[in-house]
Amino acid sequence: MTVEIALLVVAVIIYFSHGLWLFINHRRIQRSTEAARESLARLVTRGTINVEDVALLRELRHDVQESMFLEMSRNLTGAGKERLRFVAREVSLLDRARQLCASRRWTRRLRGARVLARMDVADPLVEILLADPHPAVRAQAAEWAAVQPSVPIITTMLTMLADPATQARFAVQDALLRMGGIVAEPLAAFLETHSGLPAESGLRVAESLASTGFRPAALRHSGSEDAGVRIAATKLLGAIGDAPSAERLTELLKDPDSRVRAAAAQGLGRIQHWQAASQLAEGLRDSAWHVRREAGLALRSIGAPGALFLRRALKGDDAFAADMAQLVLDLPAAAAAG
Amino acid sequence: MNEFLGINGGQLLVWGQFVVLVYFLVVNGWYMLLLVSSLLEMRRHLLLIADEARHLLLSSTLSPTISILAPAFNEESTIEGSLRALLALQYPNLEVIVISDGSKDQTVQVLIERFDLVAVKTIYEQRIKTKPVRALYRSATYPALVVVDKDNGGKADALNVGLSFAKGALVCAMDADTLIEADGLQRMIRPFLYATDVVATGGTIRVVNGSEVKSGRVIRTRVPTNALAGMQVVEYLRAFLFGRLGWNRLGGNIIISGAFGLFRRESVLSAGGYLHDTVGEDMELVLRLKRLSYERGGPGKIAFVPDPVAWTEVPESLKVLGRQRDRWHRGLADVLWRHRGMLLNPRYRVTGLVVLPYYAFVELLAPAIEAIGLISLALGLIYGIVDWNFAALFYLTAYGLGTALTAFTLILEDLSFHRYETFRDRALLFLWAMLENLGYRQMTVYWRLRGLWKFLRGRKDWGAMERKGFKPLAAPTARA
Repeated sequence: MTVEIALLVVAVIIYFSHGLWLFINHRRIQRSTEAARESLARLVTRGTINVEDVALLRELRHDVQESMFLEMSRNLTGAGKERLRFVAREVSLLDRARQLCASRRWTRRLRGARVLARMDVADPLVEILLADPHPAVRAQAAEWAAVQPSVPIITTMLTMLADPATQARFAVQDALLRMGGIVAEPLAAFLETHSGLPAESGLRVAESLASTGFRPAALRHSGSEDAGVRIAATKLLGAIGDAPSAERLTELLKDPDSRVRAAAAQGLGRIQHWQAASQLAEGLRDSAWHVRREAGLALRSIGAPGALFLRRALKGDDAFAADMAQLVLDLPAAAAAG
Repeated sequence: MNEFLGINGGQLLVWGQFVVLVYFLVVNGWYMLLLVSSLLEMRRHLLLIADEARHLLLSSTLSPTISILAPAFNEESTIEGSLRALLALQYPNLEVIVISDGSKDQTVQVLIERFDLVAVKTIYEQRIKTKPVRALYRSATYPALVVVDKDNGGKADALNVGLSFAKGALVCAMDADTLIEADGLQRMIRPFLYATDVVATGGTIRVVNGSEVKSGRVIRTRVPTNALAGMQVVEYLRAFLFGRLGWNRLGGNIIISGAFGLFRRESVLSAGGYLHDTVGEDMELVLRLKRLSYERGGPGKIAFVPDPVAWTEVPESLKVLGRQRDRWHRGLADVLWRHRGMLLNPRYRVTGLVVLPYYAFVELLAPAIEAIGLISLALGLIYGIVDWNFAALFYLTAYGLGTALTAFTLILEDLSFHRYETFRDRALLFLWAMLENLGYRQMTVYWRLRGLWKFLRGRKDWGAMERKGFKPLAAPTARA
């Protein structure tokens, strides 16, 4: 009985004391925070350093100061960001972040990397964190790398496409995409020499970049034994959409995996490759519903030759092909486009 | 008292009391473990999300498409506001599918007029058998909006139709009158981006009663002054912040709220979609997904994410609340009965050996045991077999410890998200937490027992759910 009462009393005391602490604390820091926020805005917009403003920022509690800088960093680029970095250096925020990056605790390393990433600080310490044991820290370092597109960093990032942690892999893919065209050449070379999961992850990035430089790799991987890699390669071929890609896409309509066949049909439809109309019409007889759907939609997007095959399928002996052809022909223009 | 099977009736009462007392001690001990687990999980989560750059997801071409499935039945007065809020959610690849489940009012007409809908045809694969679709509409103004008008078949049927039309790799199942916070989906998708074995994620449901709502957004959070709603605020906080979060760390989440859950579409379709003939279709689906992951392999992790929030209106009348709780308990009983093969079966590991026994012996049977305890205590006091000291001990063990745990949940909320800011809200919340055990909890015991009884008699009706509507929308809505 005493235990229950004691627990209840402790809970009441903690709950209300915390509320009181929050109230007092809020009032205490509210005024200084508002003034500091104005100081920071002044420092960033005017470009001249006022010692009093810097002193005000330096006096802030570290967590409040950190949040304030990170909040502002989101809306700044170029010269504004450079000035923000300068002020952050002046108030020792960046030094503290560097110390955090070297901490033994992953949560601190994450915080350090987060500050340096959001302030776009080109620091080798964060580059080291690309190999951190914790996936959240690696992912954060990858986010940082997106705005540091040097050759060694891109090379490290490409090797990270094999990262066993999905979180880190996703961050790496996203960062590579944000780097833009600069990664096309190294990525193409990477895809030439890698297979399996790294290749699949790289092909997804390549699909968004859609450069013809990826064609050799896409053609090679479209023959991979791994269905996931073949699907990614097929989508990439559809995104490239030149004549050799279209030719290979036509062959892929006979792939043993239905997802590859569907992706191939979709790709051919996207590039309106009318030469593949008869093979696409075969796709209307496919055993997998989604292949029939993609084949039908591809025929429709091809235009007159495709429509001819669709109408022919209506009178054919295959009921499934006829049904799908009917559905596709009934579509209004907007829905077909969508 | 009379002899019964050679045992003195008084002795039987005392023994019964001790058994119930031990039961409460064990249950509260388990809750304590859950509380510690939720504290650790919350700390880890807050460290991970502090100052994260979620806005990058908004511009990423890699963000998976999410299809929101919003079933609607006779929602003409609220559908426009709810839908505008959904279309304004901050997520890059979003599709919103409203499924009018045979609405008898002007729901579809309102949508056609306000959202510039045009009838279209589309090709979709009906992998799950559903009631017929009457018409399909797309909006000329909002390309992401799809409206399906279908024959009435219930929420599960509407969600199954939505699953067939959805294009997204992920589907978000919700109620049409749930208010999702603007960045809710960005937060909720994290587990899917961070792991490949996740099949469903759920967010926190909070009570909107008493709070101010403008344009489908909660702009000021308040604790309701209505006692019934206030006590439900406490219940929801306990269920989500300490129950589900605690289970998260122990790997035993099997409930995703039907009002706000994100699922891998292909997994749901492969599992056969939502079941029609149960009142606990959301829990049933999650448990089925979990079960299939053990039996067939493939993704099966259920993750609870505490920071995405959806707001829902809770009943403020005893009659409606009673019906809701009765239905929830019937749902629980039904789901556990359907999946009884998993109970204590080592093949289903932690789910079979820990989670389901917990739900069966604690969640399902608790009202029966609590009722036995209360009745025998009353009888004991009347016949003078149990003294007042024992009664006090019983009450404090049964309810006092629970109240302390609830108070710690409020502390957890205060330390983490701190949604209730004013002293007035804090005091009110604490008041409702204290008063919860003086009548309200006993009523829920009765409703849950009633649900259990109805389940045993095979009742599967939903009962009407009356809503007041969010402020400032005053028009009442009803759903069946």
